[in-house]
Amino acid sequence: MKTILRDLRDFLVSLQLTVALLVFGMLLVFAATLDQTNLGIWGIQQKWFHTFIVWQDVRGVNLPIFPGGYFIGGLLLINLLAAHIERFKFTWRKAGIFLTHVGLILLLIGELLSGLWQEDFHLRLNEGETRNYAEAFRDNELVVTDVTDEKFDDVVAIPEILLARHTPVQHPRLPFRVVAKAHYPNSILQMRKPDGTPTLATTGLGREVVAVPQPITYKTDEANMPSAYVELIAPDASPGIFLVSTGLVAPQRFDYGGRTWKIGLRAKRIYKPYSLTLVKFSHDRYAGTEIPKNFSSRIKLTTPDGRDDREVLVYMNNPLRYAGLTFYQSGFANNDRTTILQVVRNPSWLLPYVACALMTVGLCAQFFIHLVAFVQKRRAKLSAPAVA
Amino acid sequence: MTTVLCLPFIRRTTAGLLLTVALLLSGCSKTEVTSYRVAKEKDTELPGSMTAPANTSPTPPEKLTSTPSPAAAGADMAATPVPTASGPGLTWTAPAAWRAKPLGAMRKGSFDLVGEGGATADLSITAFPGAVGGDLANINRWRGQVALPPITEAELPKAAERFTANGLGFAVVDLASADPANPQRILGGMTPYQGAVWFFKLTGPDALVAKAKPAFLDFLKTVKTATP
Repeated sequence: MKTILRDLRDFLVSLQLTVALLVFGMLLVFAATLDQTNLGIWGIQQKWFHTFIVWQDVRGVNLPIFPGGYFIGGLLLINLLAAHIERFKFTWRKAGIFLTHVGLILLLIGELLSGLWQEDFHLRLNEGETRNYAEAFRDNELVVTDVTDEKFDDVVAIPEILLARHTPVQHPRLPFRVVAKAHYPNSILQMRKPDGTPTLATTGLGREVVAVPQPITYKTDEANMPSAYVELIAPDASPGIFLVSTGLVAPQRFDYGGRTWKIGLRAKRIYKPYSLTLVKFSHDRYAGTEIPKNFSSRIKLTTPDGRDDREVLVYMNNPLRYAGLTFYQSGFANNDRTTILQVVRNPSWLLPYVACALMTVGLCAQFFIHLVAFVQKRRAKLSAPAVA
Repeated sequence: MTTVLCLPFIRRTTAGLLLTVALLLSGCSKTEVTSYRVAKEKDTELPGSMTAPANTSPTPPEKLTSTPSPAAAGADMAATPVPTASGPGLTWTAPAAWRAKPLGAMRKGSFDLVGEGGATADLSITAFPGAVGGDLANINRWRGQVALPPITEAELPKAAERFTANGLGFAVVDLASADPANPQRILGGMTPYQGAVWFFKLTGPDALVAKAKPAFLDFLKTVKTATP
């Protein structure tokens, strides 16, 4: 047993492992870059980096083909830490190396935390429109809302992944069970033909519209349109099977148990205790040309308690930073009447800066220490009496 | 000159770091069902049969499609947009008399044309990925909405007027309802652009839409690629 543990320790602290992992890391980046032509930037991040194992479909069989970014980065982190614990003894002569390694460790941890914690949303506002939520770029949610009350809505949000897994959901706030009968990650919607295209839906819009599955797109300028057939199962009269899709313009309304409900599939929302109103979007061009000069959004930021009620101007390289979120000017639409802001939350955004600063200081310190030692040695050599 | 730092301290710190990483990894889950209460929100309303309670009898599709209205136009297939959050798109210049209105769910553009006596026509601009079934399917869908019978592939060349403006090839149809009791008209233009089809659809009372046809065609000629 002790031998196995010792072997494991030797393996984890070995320099050969470091070199092997660095080579694997380079190969990973190279292969992922090539694969980017097929999957796009988001696709390769998911397939190659934000995973422990890279899987590849080979003639219909999903096979592991390479260690993923989390595996290589994680093992590199363990290797660095283990090597320090096992071998490293702090001396002032090696202070620079120590600092550089601490920086490298922080960089790896920062990347890991960014992968785990960073959230990207977008906020789309028409002029005059107010919103207190942003929407995810790719994550979607099935939303079942009790809209009976005149003043508020009670929302139950079910992540799309549960639909994909066909996981039945029984929530205390719902008088029925939610079960996905079919889920398409990408689809198009078509009107049912008069002769009656087969459909799983038994109620709502799905009696008139059908979802046709499509291959998933990874292109940066295209979006998938997921759809699902969702059954609501109650002990007595079940509401039925609905077609839900991000392509449908509004949720579908139905009555059950003496209350009014809405059901729909939409981009995942993140609600905030403040609201933003687009006062004006400006798209300035150089005089006499169509060449863009500046995009800017005049936004009114309001909190319900009145602590904040101010206007801010968001433009390129001048984002709004508020309550842990950063709002960047990202795009526009609707003939310059709609602004699109990218909303980013990354609690570990400072770590890469700290890591790089530590590594820079470490390398400089190490160079300086060596320089001083070299100069002292040289002086000593020069001042030594010549031997006859 | 050698200073040895407290190794147990480093070990404990490292163990703590590794434990944190492990916990973070184990806690990395996006599968939680959440519930919350929000202030009342307005959604784009779907037309009658689409918003009807599930336990009521369905409205016949024929009736739905033969009575286009601004509300219906916001919910039919041509108004079901691609949720492209950003990326290249098309821009246009609408006549000043056209009243821009909120995009609702995810229209690319949305206008009201107001005629005599307050009659209103709805112009929707939407986009779908791919060919969306092709010209024939799209035209037949619009024909169905004004109670016209579908056409065949052979009739397709004569069914649509085609022109190119600003490098974009448009197919335009002018479809008047065959139902004298409900004189509606659809002016529909479509153009493929960057792997999607963009639809420009004017729906409303026959007389109002017919009168707006020259302005609609001029409007299509202002459509061009958005400068990034």
